[in-house]
Amino acid sequence: MTGFRWPDPGPRPPGRVAAARSVGLILLVLAGLAAVDAARAARNGKPFFGSTRPPAKNILTYNNGAEPEVVDPGLSVGQPDGNVCRIQWEGLTVEHPSTLAPLPGMAERWELSPDGLTYTFHLRKAQWSDGHPVTSGDFLWSWRRVLTAATTARYAGLLYYIKNAEGFHKGTIADPDSIGIAAPDDSTLIVTLENPTPYFLSLTSFYTYMPVPRWCAEKFGPRWSRPENVVVNGPFRCTYWRPTNRFDFEKNQTYWDRDNVKLDGVRAYAIDDLNTSLNLYKAGTTDWNPSGYLPAQFLPYVKDMADFHYAPYLAVYFYSFNVTDPLMKNVWLRRALSWSVDREAICSQLFKGMKIPHGGFVAQGFAGYPYPKGMKFDPVYAKECLAKAGYPDGKGLPRIEIMFNTSEDHRKIAEIIQSMWKEHLGIDVGLSNQEWGSYLRNTTGLNYQVARRSWIGDYADPATFLDCYKKGDGNNRTGWSSATYDSLLVAASRTFDPTARYAILGQAEAILLDECPVMPIYNYTLTELKKPYVKGVEPNLTDTHNLKFAWIDRQWDKPLTP
Amino acid sequence: MIRFILRRLLWMIPTLWVVATITFFLMRAAPGGPFQAEKEIPEDIKAALERKYGLDKPLLTQYAAFLGNAVRLDFGPSYKNPGRTVREVIASGFPVSLELGSWALLFALAVGIPIGVVAALNQNKAIDHASMAAALLGVSIPDFVLGPLLVFIFSLSLYWLPPALWEGPSTKILPVITLGSVYVAYIARLTRSGMLEVVRQDWIRTARAKGLSEGLIVWRHALRGGLLPVVSFLGPAAARIVTGAVVVEKIFAIPGLGRSFVDGAFNRDYTLVMGVVLFYASFLILFNLLVDVAYGLLDPRVRLS
Repeated sequence: MTGFRWPDPGPRPPGRVAAARSVGLILLVLAGLAAVDAARAARNGKPFFGSTRPPAKNILTYNNGAEPEVVDPGLSVGQPDGNVCRIQWEGLTVEHPSTLAPLPGMAERWELSPDGLTYTFHLRKAQWSDGHPVTSGDFLWSWRRVLTAATTARYAGLLYYIKNAEGFHKGTIADPDSIGIAAPDDSTLIVTLENPTPYFLSLTSFYTYMPVPRWCAEKFGPRWSRPENVVVNGPFRCTYWRPTNRFDFEKNQTYWDRDNVKLDGVRAYAIDDLNTSLNLYKAGTTDWNPSGYLPAQFLPYVKDMADFHYAPYLAVYFYSFNVTDPLMKNVWLRRALSWSVDREAICSQLFKGMKIPHGGFVAQGFAGYPYPKGMKFDPVYAKECLAKAGYPDGKGLPRIEIMFNTSEDHRKIAEIIQSMWKEHLGIDVGLSNQEWGSYLRNTTGLNYQVARRSWIGDYADPATFLDCYKKGDGNNRTGWSSATYDSLLVAASRTFDPTARYAILGQAEAILLDECPVMPIYNYTLTELKKPYVKGVEPNLTDTHNLKFAWIDRQWDKPLTP
Repeated sequence: MIRFILRRLLWMIPTLWVVATITFFLMRAAPGGPFQAEKEIPEDIKAALERKYGLDKPLLTQYAAFLGNAVRLDFGPSYKNPGRTVREVIASGFPVSLELGSWALLFALAVGIPIGVVAALNQNKAIDHASMAAALLGVSIPDFVLGPLLVFIFSLSLYWLPPALWEGPSTKILPVITLGSVYVAYIARLTRSGMLEVVRQDWIRTARAKGLSEGLIVWRHALRGGLLPVVSFLGPAAARIVTGAVVVEKIFAIPGLGRSFVDGAFNRDYTLVMGVVLFYASFLILFNLLVDVAYGLLDPRVRLS
């Protein structure tokens, strides 16, 4: 499960900094070249990027990225916020660091009713950091808080799987007791769902489902999570916060599993500049430079280093078509455009093989999911489609425009696609780059023809992708809808057998790809740098990391004793 | 003098009002709003957020409320980080920017003035050309080039200094040099031209005729007049160096106000941007006033009236 994270570094500074980037790029590429020589240690003949000396204290230091907006499990959105929550609070379940399978957290064990609708969670004896016991009432209150409209929790929708939660949140149901959450005693929480939800135990590890200490939140209001007030039930507790600089966390001595937490603390920097983030990693200030904070231009230089890690990520980069546009409503035109893009070439040439070409909308990595065939590069077929669209060889087609938000990478991709469409279809397209706010307004307002988009899965299930294209979903932004597609999604949500459910979702995706309101381009990957002594932090599909499992291996460079 | 200062302070009020009004309406005219995200915020939640912050009211009502807040110097919480008030953002960010700027300016003065003096005293000699060429180079290399270059050399190749952050004396050296170097060049050139003008004056000739040592002449007599251009430059420079270190703050991950301000503008964090703009505007006005007063004290020909 992951929170949403900007697929690109988000809002960008104006021209001067853009210039800074390109000049910085040249200099830093130089730095990268020199780095190969400067790497001090090597394993299996591969050098490391910078210092490999473990820190003096048992504290893991990493770059947490942009400054979190809200540190409050119920209100947080976004990856940096989510990380800070995951360090300090714990839900009913936690995820396995690499497989993401749900493990017991605050719940010691649980039972599921045969119809798949009712979970009974049995809570372990655990304490908040101020000595209060953690009770099922804490969960009941916290979840109701998220579902109370006045709380303005942006991720309240993630709780709609619970019976009557949506109605209560939207005001059609007034009685909070009718929500499917009950706490018959302090250690039992009974949750009734709307529909069988095979991934519900993953959701309960997500931060929106974490408990919030009521007495603390009510006393201090929006400042309750500041270090001087904060009360936690997770592995670490914040002791220091300097905004736009760093958080310091100390091991929570009241945490139930404290004996298995090997770190004494965590230090999380808030550095949004990618080059700076990488510099600090190289100098050894940070021990871990997570994915998303490695500048693309560095990949060719660090990809062969021993501390570089690469893995598929639950996210897709795609173009969407505004089907309410008089031109783009033509499905054959959309097909022609989609089938004339050489995804392999984009990934190998532009990204040096560090992205995975992908012609489907559901990201790769779901075992057992019947991925539909998806879009391929077939210029002959694309030309046929263009003729069927009424524009043989591109004749008579008015100029189309690709819109993207300002970024070097988006521009490069758009230029490649522009040239592919020119070469294979003989059509001319324009490029329009827009500042972040304008870009968002134009995509949500359907004021575009072709737009750059991306989607990062919220939880490890194909539905996190497919639900975006339900009629009227706020993330649809194409104007496209299909009654068959919607009914397949509803059918899937009522199916409990995982294989049958995946089969239905696969059919839905096939419809989406056939009507192509979207044109997938590549599957994102995780590219991170991690010092060789950092253990227990594994790359996984959703890039979520529970630092309770992390430790520092001071013997990493010693030979294993026989 | 007192009347002059009072009048200038009174003028601050309409000036700030104009600044506030322009910023308010420009901010609202920019597309998007504080509650925009690539991931859709559901309509009902967005509406609730807007209600919470009064963004659903008519623009003029919001404007009136904002002016009221501005008079009380209370801009409320930042929209993006509701756990912090705008006042807190300024209180935590500005001292850092001020410290960075002060060190940088001090560095610029400590290096720039001696270079200028030496160049002036050796007019048209090799040392003059060399130092002025160096100064020209300093002006031409922008901070976003110098910063990464210094980091590359001193942090990533030699491992002498940390590449970023603001956590102790060693972290401050590179950003101070980066930010100050442009001003070294300006100050050297201004000192040189100021000194050249002064050393041709009769009273310097008189001092020489009296047999005073060259050092004493420079130190006691020439420098005071020769530095006047530097002083008048210092006002705007100090204001700029403190408020305009965004790039350096970003390159070195320094938690200063400039970074918060620029991010705030991109995030459409209305309250934060308004608060910081007014704060910066007051700072600039007061600083210019301070420079005018100092100028009057240094140069008897200037009358403040």
